[in-house]
Amino acid sequence: MILAGVLLLFALILPALPLGSWQPFALDTAQFAFLLSGLALSWDLLARTGQLSLAHGAFFGLGAYTAALAAPALGTLPALLAGGVVAAAGSFLLGLATLRLHGMYFAIATLAFSEVMRTFVLKAGFTGGSIGMIVAPPFDGRFPLGGYYLAVTVLGLCVLTSYLVSRSRLSYAMAAIRQGEAVARVLGVPVVRVKLVAFLLSSALAGLAGGVYGMKTLFLSPYDAFSLGRAVEALVIPIFGGLYTTTGPLVGGLLLVGLETWLRLRIGEGYLVVYGVLLILAILFLPRGLVGWFSRRRGGRHA
Amino acid sequence: MEILLQTLINGLLAAGVYALVASGLALAVGVVGIVNFAHGEFLMIGAFVSYFLFTAQGLDPLISLGAAALAAFAVGAISYYGLIRPVLAAPELNQMLLTFGLSIALQNLALLLFGADTRVVSPPYQGSTVSLLGLSFGLVPFASFVLSVALLSGLYWFLGRTRLGFAVRAVAQNRLAPGLLGIETQRVYLLAFGLSAALAGVAGVMLSVMLYASPTIGFAYTLKAFAIIVMAGLGNLRGVIPAAVVLAMAEAFVSTYVPGGGGWVEAVFFLVIFVSLTYRSWRFR
Repeated sequence: MILAGVLLLFALILPALPLGSWQPFALDTAQFAFLLSGLALSWDLLARTGQLSLAHGAFFGLGAYTAALAAPALGTLPALLAGGVVAAAGSFLLGLATLRLHGMYFAIATLAFSEVMRTFVLKAGFTGGSIGMIVAPPFDGRFPLGGYYLAVTVLGLCVLTSYLVSRSRLSYAMAAIRQGEAVARVLGVPVVRVKLVAFLLSSALAGLAGGVYGMKTLFLSPYDAFSLGRAVEALVIPIFGGLYTTTGPLVGGLLLVGLETWLRLRIGEGYLVVYGVLLILAILFLPRGLVGWFSRRRGGRHA
Repeated sequence: MEILLQTLINGLLAAGVYALVASGLALAVGVVGIVNFAHGEFLMIGAFVSYFLFTAQGLDPLISLGAAALAAFAVGAISYYGLIRPVLAAPELNQMLLTFGLSIALQNLALLLFGADTRVVSPPYQGSTVSLLGLSFGLVPFASFVLSVALLSGLYWFLGRTRLGFAVRAVAQNRLAPGLLGIETQRVYLLAFGLSAALAGVAGVMLSVMLYASPTIGFAYTLKAFAIIVMAGLGNLRGVIPAAVVLAMAEAFVSTYVPGGGGWVEAVFFLVIFVSLTYRSWRFR
């Protein structure tokens, strides 16, 4: 948590650092890293109940499109909130039908959900279809750093939620469900309700991050906003960094997005191959992620 | 009336390949107990084998079938040994994440190596049609259907009539007891997973002629295969064929009768998954 505080402080003063001509690039990369770390934290929140979501790319995209469509009428902040609400509403409908079922059904349904959301946005008229749509910058472009600080705020919100949830009674219910649903139910944990709450929180945060992302790129297309790549990043980052922790996704996000930015410049399309390989390696050799690895080397203190 | 009949036939012909892909996935889920998100990538490998054998050697896709099946079997077996076996005892979440990672890695590796272009295998008979009872349909879809039916019959014969097939079914029913009875469980898993991949590889060859080979082709088929086996009940091989027919028919009807239906076809499988899951969640409450 101290680390998270230091990072947030650093994020706040980053625009004031004398970076010369590197500054725009550094700020852009940092903004992207903050948003993806936020997305990863939101994914981790749901993973704590043992559910594998492959739909976080879709919630991200839902938030992005909703915020972009609502911003001219509502203004920036209410539009972002609307993005979070719509993403949560989507997760509510999906969760009602699938959260009662065994974990693998949930994973399959979320994967299908994200594919269908893309099809829907491609076919629907008001989204610009496959051509994409132009997004207005936040606050009508009055503050050049507005988007950056929005990203910092979203990340702060995700960190805070993740931390508070891990300190609350809810975290015990989540761990119980993850480790054995039947046992949890016998112990009196309202399994479906806890899962649904985690899903709602998680998707709302993902939607918020998506909204800020749209206002950062100033352009949305279904292939970008709803790409499977987002869903992959959302889950590889926490697994690589350390599942069920706040520090893990945060550290993993900053590291991996740095790597990703470099790879995109080098090899362009296909950079996701690294995420696939990292995911396999992390599952096989680093089950508790970077955070778990470090804390074990420091003498087994739990991170 | 004629359009209706044509739609029914299109649906039925498409069901053959669907059933082939989904049976492979059902084997992986039912016997090995692995939800394999990389199943479509085995199909993609088959499609590329067919494409490269055709362009480099001029080999007919019909001959490539065997090569693709072998290649996919090998990749499946290696994946099983290197990746799946270590996580067989791990939590389900880890297994799913692992196969998902394999899928992402293979898909993007192909993207790096071959680029995102779609490549079609076009043997001389690609455009020919067959006329039967006053209706005409493409030779390739028809041949693929017949081949799929033959292969599936072979699979059912293998599982229902041979000793090895009995062993596979025994392992699917119980993880521990067959080992105590002298069945080499690990080998059966290896065989089942390789077979599962080979079925997908064969389907990939058919698709390389009917559609195209591309790095992302497998993904759509992973989803469709999941829709089918979710409808059939995970790991239930018997239900796969009717479920494949239902999905293929639904898609054929949507593409014919829904205005501007072309793009919506890609949403049908989700509806199928969603309806099956909702039905289940209400039934097993």
